[in-house]
Amino acid sequence: MLDGFSRDDGERGLLANFFEINWGLVILITVVCCIGFAMQYSAAGGSMEPWAGRQMMRFAAGLVLMVGVALVHLRWWFLLAYPIYGAGLLLLVAVEIFGRIGMGAQRWIDLGIVQFQPTELMKFGLVLVLARYFHGLPQDAIARPATLAWPVLLGLVPSALVAKQPDLGSALLLLTLTASMMFLAGVRIWKFVAVGSAILAALPLAWTQLRDYQKQRVLVFLDPENDPLGSGYHIIQSKIALGSGGIWGKGFMQGTQSYLQFLPEKQTDFIFTMYAEEFGLVGGIVLLALYSAILIYGTMIALTAKSQFGRLVAAGIMVAFWVYAFINMAMVTGLIPVVGEPLPLVSYGGTALMALLISFGLVINVSIHRGVQVRPGDDPVS
Amino acid sequence: MATRVGDILTRVPGRLTLDGTAKEAIETARNRIAFGGAVFALAFTVIVVRLFDVTVFQEPREAQPPRVAQTQRPEMERADIVDRNGALLATSLVQASLYANPRQVLDPAETAAKLAQTLPGINERDLAQRLAGERSFVWVRRNLTPRQQDAVIRLGLPGVHFQREERRVYPHGELTGHIVGFTDIDKNGLMGAEQAFDESLKSRNEPVQLSIDIRAQHVLREEVAAAMKEFGAIGGAAMLMDVETGEMHAMVSLPDFDPNVRAEASPENRFNRLTLGTYEPGSAFKTFTAAMTLDYGTGNIGTAYDATRPISISRFRIDDYKPQRRVMNMSEVFMHSSNIGSVRMAESVGRDRQREFLRRVGLLQAPQFELPEIGGPQFPAQWREINMMTISFGHGISVSPLALAASTSAIVNGGIYRAPTILRRTPGERVAGERVISQRTSEQMRRLMRLVVDKGTAKSANVPGYLVGGKTGTAEKIVNGAYKKDARISSFVGAFPMNSPKFLVYMMLDEPKGNKSTYGYATAGWVVAPSIQRIVQRIAALYGIEPVDETAPTVRDQVFVNVAVR
Repeated sequence: MLDGFSRDDGERGLLANFFEINWGLVILITVVCCIGFAMQYSAAGGSMEPWAGRQMMRFAAGLVLMVGVALVHLRWWFLLAYPIYGAGLLLLVAVEIFGRIGMGAQRWIDLGIVQFQPTELMKFGLVLVLARYFHGLPQDAIARPATLAWPVLLGLVPSALVAKQPDLGSALLLLTLTASMMFLAGVRIWKFVAVGSAILAALPLAWTQLRDYQKQRVLVFLDPENDPLGSGYHIIQSKIALGSGGIWGKGFMQGTQSYLQFLPEKQTDFIFTMYAEEFGLVGGIVLLALYSAILIYGTMIALTAKSQFGRLVAAGIMVAFWVYAFINMAMVTGLIPVVGEPLPLVSYGGTALMALLISFGLVINVSIHRGVQVRPGDDPVS
Repeated sequence: MATRVGDILTRVPGRLTLDGTAKEAIETARNRIAFGGAVFALAFTVIVVRLFDVTVFQEPREAQPPRVAQTQRPEMERADIVDRNGALLATSLVQASLYANPRQVLDPAETAAKLAQTLPGINERDLAQRLAGERSFVWVRRNLTPRQQDAVIRLGLPGVHFQREERRVYPHGELTGHIVGFTDIDKNGLMGAEQAFDESLKSRNEPVQLSIDIRAQHVLREEVAAAMKEFGAIGGAAMLMDVETGEMHAMVSLPDFDPNVRAEASPENRFNRLTLGTYEPGSAFKTFTAAMTLDYGTGNIGTAYDATRPISISRFRIDDYKPQRRVMNMSEVFMHSSNIGSVRMAESVGRDRQREFLRRVGLLQAPQFELPEIGGPQFPAQWREINMMTISFGHGISVSPLALAASTSAIVNGGIYRAPTILRRTPGERVAGERVISQRTSEQMRRLMRLVVDKGTAKSANVPGYLVGGKTGTAEKIVNGAYKKDARISSFVGAFPMNSPKFLVYMMLDEPKGNKSTYGYATAGWVVAPSIQRIVQRIAALYGIEPVDETAPTVRDQVFVNVAVR
């Protein structure tokens, strides 16, 4: 069943694998998370309660989980791709039926002890399943439109469910992921161009399907000064805070956001604003450099992986991570409308952090098993 | 970043040996990953540029506090009235009033019928007639509740409109009815503080703060009501006054009324016995007789007066309530409340000086006071010998309890008369007053008044540690020009603690009847003094006044009479 993977390489003992972990990447992730703890501490007005302390506990748990995910043989993830995706899909449906309404959207599922957002599970589940699908598909097969119907469906179904919650930002992220995975797998450029044009043509229709507050966000994005006390409030306050930070920032715990409560959700979606106000342009660039370093690490891992599956998993997760970071920072600096995506690893939020750490576990896994090969043309699950 | 990805690209393929298809697939994937990396880099560059833009090139602006939507207190036409601690005594509520424009009303009969169904107390026929009239404005109903307003809106009748109006609300109802008063429907003050401070309530937008303490008010009202019930009195009143500042802390007059539903209040209930009512003070007036004797120096607390037999003058006969038939010193006269002794004291001072003294202590004119309901004194225009005699024990003259309290304050506070006030004074403010008796007279009077509660007619007003002092008064009521037996005004006016008086306390009952517990007596010592005791206990606890050690030599020196009394 696992014939597709050659066993000659990457078959080390667990301990040996442990030493193969990219500790540099782990340290980078930890540093970014520490920035997050500091900002959550500052957002609470200099207190571990209610955010920083809890987030640190989750990080500790997530770190263990990440190492665990990394050490399992890659073939297990290959096998589990469809089950994980299926579980994610089931949970999304469950949320639709039993989910708890939080912040005006139905995103949460209550498992008694923990509540989590199935959307987060779906983000790496989708990467896994698409990587699994494209693994070993020959180029001529990819060229056939019929071959592409299945991955498109795999992407569209969860996107639609997430959009219905309604969580437009995550739905767009899942669609972007699907498109990126297909792009990385080698689907022809002209197909993207064609689909893109079709979407542009359909935009007017989509506009009518948007909820009022979603329309409002787009309109306010186009002219935030239009509604300075209403929907434009976030963007204007955010830009004012960033501007007041200047080059060097006001200093740790000196930001106005944490003390004067200008922005709601300052510990989550607008944490970058707080950070840039307190640490200025320099701080912002440092964080971007850290993100870039993580992305370079991940990209290198994707490039060196010998199996298509591993390569696509690592690359897909990097795409997701990058989209997260870009959307959030572009949002708070007013480049794109407010869509409500957290800043990866920095924003407060348990499920998102866990999902990211598990995803990085997968990336490290790919790195550890980079030598595991796949014989061309073989269907690994035949 | 892009260059490093490029390095990898050039370095890595050399190590790989793969057949054609796989190589092709991997090449494609690598190229595309490299392309993706370039997009990452570009996007992050855009973010950096944008960060530069907003942090460095934007006009530096200070963050502004969020403008939080507040339920702002609407601007009211009429300011609030509050007590000395800020408790709300009168406030304004916005309400809607319903009017109609008959010219726009399509069907007067139907409109009237629907409105009468919706709102209580509307005369349907009368309204239909008015709606059919030629005028363009007809009041339907003033001051609707929000629920009623909603109901009328739902009727969807043409020609009916709402006018925003304010309605005065008195949260404490009857407890402060006489003090706060009320306004008419157009918010003009008609009584009490509402009338007294009408101008400033209309023009200023800050509350008028009264000297009243709603807690003390409650204590007094409860005690007066309880005593009225116990002794079957038709009315009662009480007040608590700061002897140093003249501030009224509590003023209770029963029966009273709820200004929120003033339409139901009878004139009798609206009548403020403390300020508007004037009564013969009876023996309580002997305070002034003793004070003037001491102040003019025609006698001291040990001076003997002959009370062995009643005094007969023309057709009148003056006798004591409980005749002792002996010679008594001034302290004994005061303690036993001897009429004969008081007449003897007044005789020593003389008719003209008596009138002059009473004028000086403020009893021959209406007291200056903010509330409009003020009753002036009644006294004989011709001040004859007989008038001098009867007035010496409080008959043949009527003053308001307010006037009595203000003048008694001056007697006990060291001799300074200060006009009573219903407005709160700033703490520590020195209130100007007029010296009416000497410091020494005031000190002696405190001793005499303490003696009355310690050993005299008001023993049941005593509260250990609080040195209550005062004078009882029981006067028969004049009904149709003749004294009426068994219809009395029983009162007590006093102060505490007598070594250094802080509060004046007054209480009266109108037509109390004796019962078993008083052995049938309805005199002030029996029916009012016990209430005074409870009032002092409760007020002392409320204001945290420390009890004094009555046996301490310094305290004894301040309050004891140094003559033998029996």
